[in-house]
Amino acid sequence: MIRLENVTKTYGMSVVALRDASFDVPKGEFVFLVGPSGSGKSTLLRLLNRQDRPEEGAVWVAGRNIVDLPPGRVPQLRRNIGNVFQDFKLLSNKTVFENIAFAQEVIGKPKHVIRQQVPAVLDLVGLAGKEARFPHQLSGGEQQRVSIARAFVNRPLILLADEPTGNLDPTTGEGIMRLLDRINKTGTTVLMATHDQRIVNTMRKRVIQLDRGVIVRDQARGVYE
Amino acid sequence: MLSRLGYTLRETWASFRRNMTLTVAAIITSAVSLLIFGLTMLMQRGFDNLLVQWEGDVEMIVYVNAGASDEQRAEITNALSAQTQLVEDYSYCPAECSLAEAHTLLAGDPGTLELLDASNIPTQYKVVPTDATDVDTLRQLRDSLSGLPNVQSIVLADEQLDVIAKLKGFVGLYTLILSITLLFAAILLIWNTIRTAMFARRREIEVMKLVGATDWFIRVPFMLEGLIQGFIGGVIACGGLWLINNRWTAGVSDFPPNSGFAALVVNDGYTGVVMLIIVGIGMVAGAIGSGIAASRFLDV
Repeated sequence: MIRLENVTKTYGMSVVALRDASFDVPKGEFVFLVGPSGSGKSTLLRLLNRQDRPEEGAVWVAGRNIVDLPPGRVPQLRRNIGNVFQDFKLLSNKTVFENIAFAQEVIGKPKHVIRQQVPAVLDLVGLAGKEARFPHQLSGGEQQRVSIARAFVNRPLILLADEPTGNLDPTTGEGIMRLLDRINKTGTTVLMATHDQRIVNTMRKRVIQLDRGVIVRDQARGVYE
Repeated sequence: MLSRLGYTLRETWASFRRNMTLTVAAIITSAVSLLIFGLTMLMQRGFDNLLVQWEGDVEMIVYVNAGASDEQRAEITNALSAQTQLVEDYSYCPAECSLAEAHTLLAGDPGTLELLDASNIPTQYKVVPTDATDVDTLRQLRDSLSGLPNVQSIVLADEQLDVIAKLKGFVGLYTLILSITLLFAAILLIWNTIRTAMFARRREIEVMKLVGATDWFIRVPFMLEGLIQGFIGGVIACGGLWLINNRWTAGVSDFPPNSGFAALVVNDGYTGVVMLIIVGIGMVAGAIGSGIAASRFLDV
């Protein structure tokens, strides 16, 4: 589903964000990206949805090398990828329902489909009945659930999560992880960048560890360190 | 498709309200620039009306009294034909032709126009000289012709035409420069309005891009906003143009006769054409300005 081949990405002249990174993630796998701040985790995720392009190497997503994907094809790529962020990136002037429906509106889904799918996904993330709330009326954990619902509502092949539990307390974070695990079990490939040792150690999934842009460990059923 | 249209209109309206001050500034600037542009076109037209009798290199006009007999006219024709050295060509403009011309020249003076008909309007010989710069020879020709019976008067172009032509060129050039400068300012303002609107919604745009919205989907509401700004500016300019043109036409008809301004009015369908043009320019300029502004913001 995802394959990196000798990918190098630098910012400016001197900052090397990723160096000669290669790995392969089959469909349906759950992968943790770990490493200290600035080790290249976020850069890696940005390469996968074409927010950035590497200087060298190939990035394969769903059978396509996306490095030289023409700009007109980028939206199509992104419709196959869900994104979850540490700061949720919810739109504060829209309700829970509207935030999720927004992800379907902008890719032209018809109204009746939206009316049917949004409640279903809200039910999945455990927020049924809170459609009419605004983000500021929700707890941090609930906001992250909305953002996951938005990332998942279009049934993407891949879910990219950048520190999704970084702003949450441990218990709430665990709830989010259970949710991501459930989504993973539906067949969605999940890549999650995290600092959270406890979560990585509990879940026992594949771990790819980065240090100053270099992959130093790639371990099945791994732990944080 | 219908939900998309609804989405576009909703977004456009929301953005309009959010940036009221900038939007109003952009609309006023575009209105003023389009108004000046429209006025330039009307002025040019007014001057063209003033010069209508001098079309086709005519440098001298011989006015003949309405009561002139055929023999008297033949005498004038012979005199003109004899001057092969001086006169390259000449044409006769009978009563109907002169009357049609008068309708343009005296458009702003309906009182005088009413008194004219085919029985009393002077007819004209329009003379194209071989060398228009040789004013002295033309004056000699005028003096020799003015003695003929029933010749009412003879007018030379260099005494009337040149002033008007120079004025037309001067006024036309500088109002055109002014209006283009202002139009440019209007585009910049619309551009800035859209940039501000997009900056206020950069989070939303980022999310849109990440869930796979196409650039056009994001751009269209902003372009529509610019287009509407240009349209409103154009409509306001049309209102101003109509008002000014009306006041001017009414004012000219109160001028004393023979003040020379009677032809400087536009009261035919041309005003409507100008209005359509300025609304069109406003819409295109608005859409292009905002389209460029939007494109620069979409490199997420």
